[in-house]
Amino acid sequence: MNSRSSALPYIQVSPLALVLILFFTIPVALVLLVSFFRYQMLVGIVPDFTFKNYADILTNQTNWLLYWSTLKFAVIVLAITGFIGFWISYFLVFHIRNLVTAIALFLVCTVPFWTSNIIRMISWRPVLGREGLVNQALVGSGLTDQPVEWLLYSDFAVVVAYVHLFTLFMIVPIFNSMARIDKSLLEAAMDAGASRWGVIWNVVLPLSKTGIALGTLFVVTLVMGDFSVVTVMSGGLSGSAASAIFNDLQFLNYPRAAANAVILLIVVLLIASAIFRLVDVREELVR
Amino acid sequence: MNFTPVTAPSGASATDMSNSGEIRLVDLTKKFGDTHAVKDINLTIPHGSYCCLLGPSGCGKTTILRMIAGHETPTSGEITIGDTSVIGLPPVQRGTAMMFQSYALFPHLSIRDNVAFYLKMRGVGKDERRKRADEMLERVQLAHLRDRMPAQLSGGQQQRVALARSLITNPRVLLLDEPLSALDEFLRLQMRVELKTLQAELGITFVHVTHTQPEAIALADMVVVMDTGRIDQAASAREIYNSPATPYVARFMGAQNVLTGKVEGIEGGVARLKSARGETFELPRQSVAPAVGEDMSFSVRRDYIAIRKRTEAETEAATNAVLGTVDSIEYQGNFVKVSLQVPGMDTFVANVPDHDYFVEPIGPGDAVAASWDKQHAHLLDRVDTGVPEPYAAR
Repeated sequence: MNSRSSALPYIQVSPLALVLILFFTIPVALVLLVSFFRYQMLVGIVPDFTFKNYADILTNQTNWLLYWSTLKFAVIVLAITGFIGFWISYFLVFHIRNLVTAIALFLVCTVPFWTSNIIRMISWRPVLGREGLVNQALVGSGLTDQPVEWLLYSDFAVVVAYVHLFTLFMIVPIFNSMARIDKSLLEAAMDAGASRWGVIWNVVLPLSKTGIALGTLFVVTLVMGDFSVVTVMSGGLSGSAASAIFNDLQFLNYPRAAANAVILLIVVLLIASAIFRLVDVREELVR
Repeated sequence: MNFTPVTAPSGASATDMSNSGEIRLVDLTKKFGDTHAVKDINLTIPHGSYCCLLGPSGCGKTTILRMIAGHETPTSGEITIGDTSVIGLPPVQRGTAMMFQSYALFPHLSIRDNVAFYLKMRGVGKDERRKRADEMLERVQLAHLRDRMPAQLSGGQQQRVALARSLITNPRVLLLDEPLSALDEFLRLQMRVELKTLQAELGITFVHVTHTQPEAIALADMVVVMDTGRIDQAASAREIYNSPATPYVARFMGAQNVLTGKVEGIEGGVARLKSARGETFELPRQSVAPAVGEDMSFSVRRDYIAIRKRTEAETEAATNAVLGTVDSIEYQGNFVKVSLQVPGMDTFVANVPDHDYFVEPIGPGDAVAASWDKQHAHLLDRVDTGVPEPYAAR
């Protein structure tokens, strides 16, 4: 009886533990293991214990450039999605008095997600392309003589697509934490003489902090792990950290791809831990 | 608590007319969609008085408070504080401060920063801000908790912080939205006394919204009883309690029995009323002149009702009396609440002093006669429509 009751907690956690081991621990461990293997042309993977893959990546300037470019995208996209996400959430929570309307508008934000990523990306082409809507409008209105070239297949296009794809990941957590703010706090702040901006800066923003942190986590990890958007939207002119992995995989250089994946994982984990250090996200999840 | 008014930095004195906390509401109306939250409210709250807005939930009392505070814009009408119209002005320029029902303390700021928030908004330097916030916290005896976060405080402590945060703005009007409803009974009675003392010491106008009659009676210089969207009576607590204007007020205050009859004749300033059940009531002439054939309602205080046992054979009530059977008995300490079942009436209650009651105790089911002196019959302005109010007699 006694032994059975002491085993019970382990039995209770075993399904989740199994899932985590099977789909998380083992794959990551395998990637880590393979990252120390050796790659031999025409042969493939050779079991070994070498730091050569890591050394290759860290000494290759292209990789540093790719990481730099990915980080740059992450920061730009973060700033734009954060700005848009904050104001859309603010509008939905504090300016729409009717809760049903607010939820309806919130659902409207999710409509683009009813189609696939690829379609949402591709659909920017007729808008931003040489003969696209924007260029037709620009030339038609006489603002420019020639179609603007940098709209599509450029860093600009990449950022546009990222923002389009990821803003919702910012809106949802910010909306969530803003919706929990007691409206009378805003009135109390106005009573104390706070201006509209004063209320936002001193009350709304600090109380949305956890939502912003969670959104940041989503957006940063999504941008850091992306290679398809950057490839399609830049027309192959730009790359990301993940596209280096993709290239290695195409040459069946699994060890170097694995090593790069481990480095990317460490970078993302560092960013995540920095966010967790700034804001206690658990507080938001537990509430 | 020992409060002393804090002099405003501008040096404005209480005698200054612009600093008067007299509130005037003129034809004030607020509509939400198609429904009137409040309609054509006219009310003057004198400077330095303690005013309670009393009524059941949804009667519009909080809406009035929020319009005075500037958190709700009236659909039409005028609000003046002192001698300035405040419609469209932000709260700080109105000289009002509001204490919210939920206290609305900023959860991300320490107690001290909560209190200092107003000073921060005015651009007061950090040291000065802290010093003045600490002084205010000392007044509410919470200086030792100044570094805590609001969530770490008890309900009573949170309320004191909210009070300190409101008072640091030097308001001429303090608006309190059901300030005591979240506290337990003991704390409520204690805070009630403190609020009253505080108001007397500060000498500013307090407007206090409540749905609890004893709270209003105990605190207010002026009680405003509200029914859905309109004011039924605004007067001193004693007047509201003793001379309710309408059947609604009489029932809502809970200390009165409401009776109705048709005027049959008038002799020497006393109207004779006949009720639907056939009893005869006498009603001394009061403000409204009765006319023969007209229905009139009056109220009699519960503690002016005398009760005696009767035999089943006695079926004819004397003048100024009703017959009924005892429904329930509630011992209240210094008196006994005897509820009667009188055919055709929703409630009839007599509060019998306990020494009288125990001379000849009665129990549920006993047939009794309840009578009163005619001078205790108080004429109501309106005929009782007999609609049982949801918050009627307790």
